[in-house]
Amino acid sequence: MTIPVADLADPPKPPMFGERQRFMLLLIAPAVVALIFFQIVPILTGANASFRDWSLHDPKYTWVGLKHYWYVLSDPGFVWTVMPNTLVFMAVSVAVSLVFGLGLALILNRQFAGRAVLQTILLLPLMVAPVVAAIMIRWMFNDQFGIVNVVFEALGLPQQPWLAQRWTAFGVILVADIWLWTPWFALLLLAGLQSLPKEPFEAAAIDGASRWRVFRYLTLPMLRSVMVVCIVIRGIDAFRTFDIVWTISAGGPARSTELFSIYAYIEAFQAMNFARGSAAAIIGAIIIVVLAMVVFRLLNRWMEVSK
Amino acid sequence: MTLASPALALPPVRSGFFASLAPGGAKVLFALATIAVAFLFAFPVLWLLLTSLRPESGVYYVHRGTEFTWHNYVEVLQQENILKAFFNSFAISTLATILSLGVTVTSGYMLSRFRGPIPNGWFSVIYVLRCVPYISWVLPLFFVTRQWGIFDTYWGLLLPHVAVHICFFSWIMKGFFDGIDPSMEYAALIDGCTRWGAFFRVALPSAIPGMTALAILCWLYTWNEFLFALMLTAHKTPILTVVMAQFVHELGMEWHLMSATAMMALVPALIVTIFGQKYVIRGLRV
Amino acid sequence: MGLPTHTARRHLLSGLAALGLALALPAAAEAQVELKVGYMKHPIQDASLDMMDKWAKANNVKLTRVAMAYNIFMEKVTATLTSGNDQFDVIWHNDDWGQLWEKWLEPTDDVAGMDTMSKSPLDAFWSADKKMTVVPMAYTVGTFFYRSDLVKPEEVPKTFDQLVSVSQRLQKEGKVKWGYVGGMSFNNTWFAQWWTMWANNCDIFHPLFERDNVKLKAAGFKPAIADPCHRQVIEFWWDAINTHKISPPGMTAYGRNEANALFMAGDAAFTLVDSTHYGDFMDPNKSKIVGKIGMAPFPVGPNAKVPTAWHEIWGWGIPKGSPPEKKKLAKAMLGAMMLDEEGQIEMWKKTGGPPPNNKILAKIAATDPVFKQLQNAVFDQKPVTHSAYYFAEWPAVHKAYSDVTIKALSGKREDIQKTLEEGAPLLTKAATN
Repeated sequence: MTIPVADLADPPKPPMFGERQRFMLLLIAPAVVALIFFQIVPILTGANASFRDWSLHDPKYTWVGLKHYWYVLSDPGFVWTVMPNTLVFMAVSVAVSLVFGLGLALILNRQFAGRAVLQTILLLPLMVAPVVAAIMIRWMFNDQFGIVNVVFEALGLPQQPWLAQRWTAFGVILVADIWLWTPWFALLLLAGLQSLPKEPFEAAAIDGASRWRVFRYLTLPMLRSVMVVCIVIRGIDAFRTFDIVWTISAGGPARSTELFSIYAYIEAFQAMNFARGSAAAIIGAIIIVVLAMVVFRLLNRWMEVSK
Repeated sequence: MTLASPALALPPVRSGFFASLAPGGAKVLFALATIAVAFLFAFPVLWLLLTSLRPESGVYYVHRGTEFTWHNYVEVLQQENILKAFFNSFAISTLATILSLGVTVTSGYMLSRFRGPIPNGWFSVIYVLRCVPYISWVLPLFFVTRQWGIFDTYWGLLLPHVAVHICFFSWIMKGFFDGIDPSMEYAALIDGCTRWGAFFRVALPSAIPGMTALAILCWLYTWNEFLFALMLTAHKTPILTVVMAQFVHELGMEWHLMSATAMMALVPALIVTIFGQKYVIRGLRV
Repeated sequence: MGLPTHTARRHLLSGLAALGLALALPAAAEAQVELKVGYMKHPIQDASLDMMDKWAKANNVKLTRVAMAYNIFMEKVTATLTSGNDQFDVIWHNDDWGQLWEKWLEPTDDVAGMDTMSKSPLDAFWSADKKMTVVPMAYTVGTFFYRSDLVKPEEVPKTFDQLVSVSQRLQKEGKVKWGYVGGMSFNNTWFAQWWTMWANNCDIFHPLFERDNVKLKAAGFKPAIADPCHRQVIEFWWDAINTHKISPPGMTAYGRNEANALFMAGDAAFTLVDSTHYGDFMDPNKSKIVGKIGMAPFPVGPNAKVPTAWHEIWGWGIPKGSPPEKKKLAKAMLGAMMLDEEGQIEMWKKTGGPPPNNKILAKIAATDPVFKQLQNAVFDQKPVTHSAYYFAEWPAVHKAYSDVTIKALSGKREDIQKTLEEGAPLLTKAATN
């Protein structure tokens, strides 16, 4: 039962810039100003750079057209390692943190002693500076002094050089990302759960429906709109993930866990070619704009169908 | 699928964690699993706390040896910048929160209450801007803040943060207003209230729980943010995360000081979260 | 009871107004001239700044230290320099990026005390018109450290083979868990791949050991990494990790922090790292091996006869964008630092950073046994070349080199040659783009 969203007193024949339009524009005016100065201008500067000969140390600012775009798109590393890594990372991270977050939200949606404490503990990952947390995780997975291998040894499991192998390193950055973002999902989904109306659940309880059926046919469908927004926003952010991956693996060993933001950073700031880094960033932005739109549409359609 | 083992069946308890669960071994296992998950989530933070209490020689081999010390905290507190950085970080997080909410509450309201080309266009703009990676515009941001003479000031860090929050917050804000019945606003309009009056007197008060929720997320995000802080500040406006980053130098890292600073920085974040979380849960409705 | 609401509100408002003013108003103008130094927080740099501060206090100049985090130092300062802004009057300078800033820095040939410095460590800092653009702060030299409680001076490995055999003996005797640890991942390449490469009489580009950009360019930046002398080096590390097991399995992902953590915990017998870490190794708060450290010349590879070393510096530069009168003051200040005998000796004692002034260095060598060891390990050895290249694309080449070698080390031993051959063109591409 969603509340209908209505236009406020729509006049029958609105003038082009009537009072209503003026009101709308005024409502967004402060946000528009902030966006123009601190997002659109810098982004356009970066976009402008991507068509020029613009190295960090010796910018010549001469126009070179699509040269940098062509370089990035014809770089086998970008096409065959970086993009697949990024997409796998995004899909796994979002899916797993969604499932974990939903589970935790369901637990936190009950009443029990210690609930507030549990909730605070689960929010801890959001409270630590992510870069410091990432360094901590990097040390925890060190093959010599890391606590993970110490525990593995105690349990008789084979110790791993976690960060020196591609797939274990990829696993570590995924674990870190999931750890960091599960609470975010849990928080938003819990808020969604608590805003659901009580009546259908009471009716289901009277009918003696099993927990699973209640979850499957009541909770999940009603929570879908929250989930869709969470998935899309988090998907976009996961696609752009930079700092924790940079700190834990820096794309290594040998570029095998490189994500697209890391690629752009290496080109722009390590290789000092700001133009090429910007081109890579814009290519990534275009991919995620299209991808997120498709996902958003698909999820929305799936919602409509299953209602 | 119940585990019929009588040994696992608990005596009925009136209150507490277990009482909320139906009797039966599966439930106990479930409770234990919950505790295990909580432990796993807290573990990196606990380990960081332990690290920060170890003497310098034990911050990597944390599990080896049992000496503990306050020395790292004392050493951090002796840094002349640190208190200033705490103050600056607190001020910037708080101001960024207030400003971000101020500009997104109206924007979210607009997205929720109107249909047509303006809201659609606005939504597309914030959606596309959300997709552009920071890497491509943090350096231009450095140039423009310098150009406008606000580099290394509060404004130079605050305003970019506000801009970053606009997309996500407007989207979520729209959700809050979607959940609020607009009929009260109609009534107000019919009673002769202006649109602004209806917004301020009717819609805004009912959105306060949601705003509180976003305020906490925004505060935590700004408090812990690294990239902008590193790029957009220098010595005049020390920020906590930047002070932490300075413990990393070309020849290695002062991990003992970094972990201690991070634990100290956790305290305000914890306080904000604890006091705010009941509002977070009550308020967030997407 | 608190204040009545309206009073509280008025207080709040006046507080906010004051805050607003504080935000809006620039700092009051100061009578003193201010010199702003952009640097990275590190004991050596602070010691060098202390010397400058002495001069500044005596000359009524205000010295402001603008510390910047290392991870964005080069990017941020480069962006400041290219925009011609007078954000800094003096900046930390490093041979790693000497080539990037030559265009933007003031010549320093006329700074007092520049003649007290050896010439070769300054090679990175010449501008296109043959002017010097740096004033040295301290040497940063790679140093081979060994555990003097486990290895007698005469047993210290002199060759790669001995490094393996001595390590294995110590491991077998249960004296130490690992033989050698050193950083290996990107930006730590010196502490494994590179020192062994130069110690094996090998280099990255043909002609070997050439650092003249014109000649390198003429040769088309032809990589030497698939040459036998370089393959030997990579095979040496592959074996060290996988066959002889003298180095930990995760070492390809190690930076300096991990390597030093292992060494200082007493878990390894040998390491190679900047000499300035000697201070850390001897600090009882940080290290479990205090008083058990020796320094020795690099072990020599099968393709070489004598040990090598590198002698590079950290320094200070003066941005061209700084106003002329401040440039003059900055030069006087850096000159005073170069000639500050007491301060430089103090810097060596406190931080292990060898001062750049040769006369002062000689004085320290005459009295200080620790420095004598370092001198034998590093300064008495003749470098085959510099520990970097000095063209603008070098950072990209370094990264490409690191990726290729780590890939070779992460794969099968028989694929090493193939990986190096496939990777070689990437270095040329990075150098010529």
